[in-house]
Amino acid sequence: MKSFEFYEPTTLAEASRLFAEEHAQLLAGGTDIIIGMKALTETPQSVVSLQKIPGLDGITTDGDSINIGAMTTVREVELSGDVQQHHTALAEGASEIGSIQIRNLATIGGNIAHASPAADTVAGLLVADAQVDIASADGERSVPIDELFTGPGQTVLTPGEIITRFRLPSPASGSHYIKHKIREVMDLAFIGVAAAINMDNGTITDARIGLAAVAPTPIRATEAEDLLKGNAPTPELLEQAGEAAAAGCSPISDLRCSAEHRREMVDVLTRRTLQYALERASA
Amino acid sequence: MSEYTVVGQTVARVDAVEKVTGAAQYGADIHPPGMLYGKIVRSKHAHANIRSIDTSEAEKLPGVRAIITQDDVPSGRRVFATDKVLYLGEPLAAVAATDPDIAEEAAERIKIDYEVLPVVQDVMEAIKPSAPRLHGDDTKDGPNRREISGQIRTLSRDKENDHSDEISKLEAGLEAYPDEVYYNISAESHTEAGDVEKGFAESDVVVEDTYVIPRVHQTYMEPHVSVASADSSGKITVWASTQGPFAIRSGIAGTLGIPLTQINVIGTTMGGGFGGRFGVIITHVPAVLLSQKTGRPVRVQMTREEEFTDGRPAPGCVIKLKTGATNDGRILAREALAFWDSGSVSGASIGSTIRVRGVYKIPNLKVDAYGVHTNKSGTAAYRAPGAPQAIFAGESQLDEIAERIGMDPVKFRLMNMREEGDEVPAGGSEPKVGYKETLEAVADAAGWWDREADENQGWGVAVGDWTNGCGPGGVYVSVHEDGSARIFHGSMDITGTDTAISQIIAEILTVPYESVTIRRGDTDSAPYSTGSGGSVVTFTMGNTAKLAAEDAHRRILELASERLNTNVDDLELKDGAVHIISAEQPKSISLGELAAYSLSTTGGPIVGKGSFARQASTPALAAQIAKVEVDPGTGRTRVLKLVASQDVGFAINPMAVEGQIEGGTVQGYAWAMMEEMQYGDEGNINPGFVDYRVPTSADLPTVESVIVEVPAPNGPYGAKGVGEPPITPTLATMANAVKDAIGIRITELPIKPEKVVDALKSNGR
Ligand SMILES: Cc1cc2nc3c(=O)[nH]c(=O)nc-3n(C[C@H](O)[C@H](O)[C@H](O)COP(=O)(O)OP(=O)(O)OC[C@H]3O[C@@H](n4cnc5c(N)ncnc54)[C@H](O)[C@@H]3O)c2cc1C
Repeated sequence: MKSFEFYEPTTLAEASRLFAEEHAQLLAGGTDIIIGMKALTETPQSVVSLQKIPGLDGITTDGDSINIGAMTTVREVELSGDVQQHHTALAEGASEIGSIQIRNLATIGGNIAHASPAADTVAGLLVADAQVDIASADGERSVPIDELFTGPGQTVLTPGEIITRFRLPSPASGSHYIKHKIREVMDLAFIGVAAAINMDNGTITDARIGLAAVAPTPIRATEAEDLLKGNAPTPELLEQAGEAAAAGCSPISDLRCSAEHRREMVDVLTRRTLQYALERASA
Repeated sequence: MSEYTVVGQTVARVDAVEKVTGAAQYGADIHPPGMLYGKIVRSKHAHANIRSIDTSEAEKLPGVRAIITQDDVPSGRRVFATDKVLYLGEPLAAVAATDPDIAEEAAERIKIDYEVLPVVQDVMEAIKPSAPRLHGDDTKDGPNRREISGQIRTLSRDKENDHSDEISKLEAGLEAYPDEVYYNISAESHTEAGDVEKGFAESDVVVEDTYVIPRVHQTYMEPHVSVASADSSGKITVWASTQGPFAIRSGIAGTLGIPLTQINVIGTTMGGGFGGRFGVIITHVPAVLLSQKTGRPVRVQMTREEEFTDGRPAPGCVIKLKTGATNDGRILAREALAFWDSGSVSGASIGSTIRVRGVYKIPNLKVDAYGVHTNKSGTAAYRAPGAPQAIFAGESQLDEIAERIGMDPVKFRLMNMREEGDEVPAGGSEPKVGYKETLEAVADAAGWWDREADENQGWGVAVGDWTNGCGPGGVYVSVHEDGSARIFHGSMDITGTDTAISQIIAEILTVPYESVTIRRGDTDSAPYSTGSGGSVVTFTMGNTAKLAAEDAHRRILELASERLNTNVDDLELKDGAVHIISAEQPKSISLGELAAYSLSTTGGPIVGKGSFARQASTPALAAQIAKVEVDPGTGRTRVLKLVASQDVGFAINPMAVEGQIEGGTVQGYAWAMMEEMQYGDEGNINPGFVDYRVPTSADLPTVESVIVEVPAPNGPYGAKGVGEPPITPTLATMANAVKDAIGIRITELPIKPEKVVDALKSNGR
């Protein structure tokens, strides 16, 4: 690891100012950045910790909306009753990250800001239609989660911008997340698939499908969603949705598996995760 | 009731407390005053000519104390690459600096001018004429060409008769095998017994397949590390994390041309080895060279990434195997042609290909094996070197035969297994062995005979054999005035061997296990000891310890006879005291009293010496059964049950033995299901634990171990080496279970989800 200056500001404004400097990096839980610094893929000259800034962590409700502070650990997200009940896919995604030790350090803000296409909370946030609140010295703004990412490791965040919280506006009546992996725990997603369903009288009123690690950024399977909306769920419909989701993604081949395998798993796991989400929505 | 009181009992390991409290000193805990940090400068290409190495920018960096290249190796023995590198990560130079960051920075500043060359990573590509050559243009003949060439040689030697016609016909015959001129061959090995062609002709069923086994890393927790200190007199001390301090001593002496007595190697507590911790060049020699040059102690420690690029993992291989059997279940012939990926140097365990013979009566056997050069680091031992690979092929194919002839896989194996006196194909005759007992034990324990399987579930069985090695060792045991005993020796503790040695001494001296302590010396002080690998330690050091304890026992009785004024034959050592056997005058004297008395005798203190080198070992079998469930949608396999039996001869410490069975089985499971070093033109592409997956405890259920004891005539109390056998069958156990679950044979490891999905697809499911 290269040596660096370490800052622990106590206000967002101060943190934003320090982070806007050249060669600065943020430190949340440190489970991505420290590894990058050890491997010399990250060589910041200053590291700005978010840990001393009050008000950035915790899960609150505001009517139907659930707000999750960026510094909330993924373990808290996983164990939150509100998240488990209304955004099951997100809780399940959080529970898939690394090990309990890692989840006690890792923050949801870091998981998203790191912008790995394989991040385990991203599909759950996509199907929750999350809004990402961002603060900087210049003020605040908010972007929908599906507009946050621009490429692997890339977001619309500009120097000095810090994610403060995720707002999950409306609960889904059933959602589910599946991670395709080799190891039970401590594995990165070959792909991740989340589905959220709202039902009314046997008809799917809303369907959202989020896909991770099948394109340069996490994506929504919009064509599959459109097939589902307004229809009663049948095995044939789910099959069509799986195929549509697979057709709509653009995975790569890498050392973990081939693009074809990823595409096939999108098909298989979209059907599966929809099935689980439907069961929950109907329960 | 056992006739023994300490051996055969589960006792806490002698090193348990120091390990759980953190008191144990590992290599990286050693920090002599003034120590410098070494860093190895490594090739950034998998195959390249080196035009130049420029160290000038690095030398300017404050804190850099030495930079060495091959020019600094006075003996000329190869430590660093000079004009050509053969794999990514090959050492080119080394730096010593006052701080690890400076060493790293200096390493980066060394400018190396490469002329990049084409790369070959696949053994089947490497043997082709089109492949880049690693070490020149030598070729070797494949099995058919070899046979014809042999005939030509024999005929040409006969000067009495004219064979020119025959010879030219044979020479023409050579051309029928153009693919059998192999390039990049590092070594070859050929074995034949009986006549395989005849055997196949007589067979009702013949199965042929190609098995591909990946290169895997031993993944010991502690990366390679050594601290070397050369003092002003030239004396060299090396703290080495190694399985064999004496081998490291002679290795350093040989490589650098230093007298043996000038080198002292201190073995530090080992964070695992599994066969991979014998290398001399990897860190020890560079550390010594850097210390000699700087006059300061130097630590050279590998990162995990360096472990993957420049460790010495287990070789992958491709085995073409053919087996013939009769419809009533007799195996008649087996033929193997194997290509072992030995990397940039020779040394892959190609001789282990013979293990395709398994423990079966196979009258006709032919094994041809080649080591093949590729652009990877060299290989080393890994728990039963070569056996898991060969046995994977052999035991996978056995199930295919059993299926074709409609026989139960366990019954088929039992029917063909060798027993005492049976001929071992190309290997003499079998001593008393426990093959059938061991397989029956696992079948019974796993519930094989009334096994049930739901959809997508399957059961697999396989067996693997291994024979422990043996080597020289020396042990001293002293008995003190408080009745305690102290052992002194020089072998590295792996897997609880110090505990077993202590148990044996306690047993013979009839003292409680707790009053025996054990101390390891360095190579300057301890008697010679063989390296701790090849399942030798309990066999060798156990025998040595027995001899030492018996020697002490003799002295104890001698002292007691003086003290009690009784004939030695009337004395007995029992419960830590010597007693007069005759009942009329019950009299006894404790070991402590005798030890105290010994200090003022002519004969002197109680010191037992044991020295041992060689005794015939006895083969051991490991037999395993797995039940799995495969998700046909995603190709993921879940293990529902894993049962492992092993003939251990005699379990000196049953819990330690179970630990070995579990550990070996889990490593075999990992090799079957997920572990694989992956290579591209740029070299190893998964040099870390993110993409080189070792299993966690969440991946499989507790391995149920079943101990079988068929004593080894020469083992201490009948013990056989237990460390290596349990990994040998698991690769095949898993593949056989997956086959049973999905109906498709996977011949290429690891059995990753993608492979299963693809196999199901190509079979129309
Ligand atoms: C052993 C191990 C296993 C892992 N397994 C998984 C896994 O299974 N699935 C998975 O998805 N991830 C996994 N990870 C990755 C990691 O744990 C997660 O991505 C984690 O959520 C990152 O959060 P953090 O708080 O540790 O981020 P940090 O490392 O502190 O920061 C990561 C990046 O995000 C930026 N950042 C952090 N917070 C903010 C913010 N509020 N606003 C703007 N930018 C910010 C930082 O600048 C930095 O670049 C694993 C990591 C380890 C070490």
